Amino acid sequence: MTSDQPTMIEFKDVHKYYGDYHALRGINGTIKAGEFFSLLGPSGCGKTTLLRTIAGFEDISSGVIMIDGKDMAGVAANTRPTNMVFQSYAIFPHMSVEENVGFGLRKDPRSKEDKAKAVDEALQMVGLKGFGKRAAHALSGGQRQRVALARALILKPKVLLLDEPLSALDKKMREHMQVELIKLQRQVGITFILVTHDQEEALVMSDRIAVMFEGEIAQLADPETLYRRPATKKVADFIGTMNFIPATILSESGNAVEVEAKGLGKVMLDISQAPVASGDSTVVGLRPETLTLLYDDQKAPERETDGVIDEVIYFGDMTYYDVYLGGTDVEVRLSMRNVPGRPVLDVGTRVRVAWSPTALVLFR
Amino acid sequence: MKAPYLRAFTLFYLLFLYSPILLLPIFAFNDGKVVAFPLQGFTGKWFGEMFADQNLRIAAKNSLIIALSVATLSTVLGIFAARASVRYRFPGKAPLMGLIMLPLVLPEMIVAMALLVVLLSMGVPLSLFTVIVGQVLICTPFAVAILTSAFQSLDRSLEEAAMDLGETTWSTFRLIVLPLVMPGIMASFLICFTISFDEFIISNFLGSGQPILSVYIFGQFRFPAKVPSMLALGTVLVCFSIILLGFAEYMRRRGIAKAGGKDSGGFL
Repeated sequence: MTSDQPTMIEFKDVHKYYGDYHALRGINGTIKAGEFFSLLGPSGCGKTTLLRTIAGFEDISSGVIMIDGKDMAGVAANTRPTNMVFQSYAIFPHMSVEENVGFGLRKDPRSKEDKAKAVDEALQMVGLKGFGKRAAHALSGGQRQRVALARALILKPKVLLLDEPLSALDKKMREHMQVELIKLQRQVGITFILVTHDQEEALVMSDRIAVMFEGEIAQLADPETLYRRPATKKVADFIGTMNFIPATILSESGNAVEVEAKGLGKVMLDISQAPVASGDSTVVGLRPETLTLLYDDQKAPERETDGVIDEVIYFGDMTYYDVYLGGTDVEVRLSMRNVPGRPVLDVGTRVRVAWSPTALVLFR
Repeated sequence: MKAPYLRAFTLFYLLFLYSPILLLPIFAFNDGKVVAFPLQGFTGKWFGEMFADQNLRIAAKNSLIIALSVATLSTVLGIFAARASVRYRFPGKAPLMGLIMLPLVLPEMIVAMALLVVLLSMGVPLSLFTVIVGQVLICTPFAVAILTSAFQSLDRSLEEAAMDLGETTWSTFRLIVLPLVMPGIMASFLICFTISFDEFIISNFLGSGQPILSVYIFGQFRFPAKVPSMLALGTVLVCFSIILLGFAEYMRRRGIAKAGGKDSGGFL
């Protein structure tokens, strides 16, 4: 994904009210052509509402939504260059698979044979070749989803909207479909917009993610930036696990900020490299995988702190340790890969924890 | 069985309810003018007499005209009302729906008398048409109840999907909504038809002495000699009703299964 792609969708100060309820509170941002974009947030954050305003199922109270350079005000859902895969898939139960997939071609001037060919191609694309004659209600969850995908993609929309398409599938199937969707998106090159509450799914699939809370976009960034440099404490908390350690600021000069973090000691931070994120109090954040237990004579490359193991959570490939830092009540979670020569330690073991100042995120 | 009394009560209840209907076919085939035991012997002549009755045929024809009209009108009105109540929010919806459903609990006698007074004071001549108008009032709540459950079991995103794929509101209704609620429409039609067909009070009050089946049967019971052939007619009607209602329920259940919904009530 390159950043010089043209803009496909643009939001300008979009607001949506349901009566007194302020569902969307000033959405701004752009989605680029060919991008796999995710709207991520907890339920009730407005992500589905935003998706439905793109599809044209919801009017917006104020603001502008542009799709491919055109203002969508007053443009009905049936004439927008978008197609949707619904959470319930919305497969028409009284039609066969091929009737479902070909539904959008009803007004297409092409000949019957050409349309049948298009339906076959669409089915092949989603891996349902030969399923055309099946009754829609006789399909499994994964198959229904593929039919919904084929039905939406056959119209070659500029934007494909996916409303939590994987939430109804079991874990194995979900992970499988995540990869399939990424492949499909690369193959067709259409802009995909995915709504999900699953942060892992968003990280895995997206080129860029908009994290939403209470009708606002808290951060719009690529997955790595979101994970490593969250803009707010809420974002950091929602995506993955983040250890928050109380801290006080000792001095500031330019980009150099010296903080005293409880259990870690004095740290110099370069905020040009790691911008300060907003939070309700001064804390520093560390991801579990940026902390490492030191075994035997290992030396920390940068900094190290003493600790005591309070909890051991064994995951097979990984072990999570909750460790009290430096004789304080500050507990951090860290993750270690279980490799040969690295025994799983017991609760109460005194350990040394290695960490790096560059992995710290300052919240204030 | 922990409560043998309950079982006995249930049995007695069902017997009390349905055994009189069982007497209909028994005496319809009984070779005797008096409806009393002991039975006199088997005969089909009452059915022959019934079919030969000229007035009965006119009454049956009138009843059919009324029932078909009432079922059609009630179901069409029911579609509008049920669709509006399931899909849209508008001011005064609850009291409006309440008013539509009210005839379900109003004494039919009161409705019939009130209609009679109004129609006469308006100078509307009583005819089959006035019977139809009155019965539509009674049948529409049934249609609304059945169709509401049919519309409710319809996933809203099906309609949105059709719109999303380029259809208009009307073509979505025609291509998606109608086929999926069609079994509900059939069920509503058949139940309204059945209710109308044996409706008596409104037919009697607003029918102006036109031969209508229910009224005609009531009249014939005054003549002891006519009673056995009326029992034969009753037998035919009972069978007819059971078949229609069974078919209606079958259609309703099939509709819900087809739309992938859960059964949320019904009449059987």
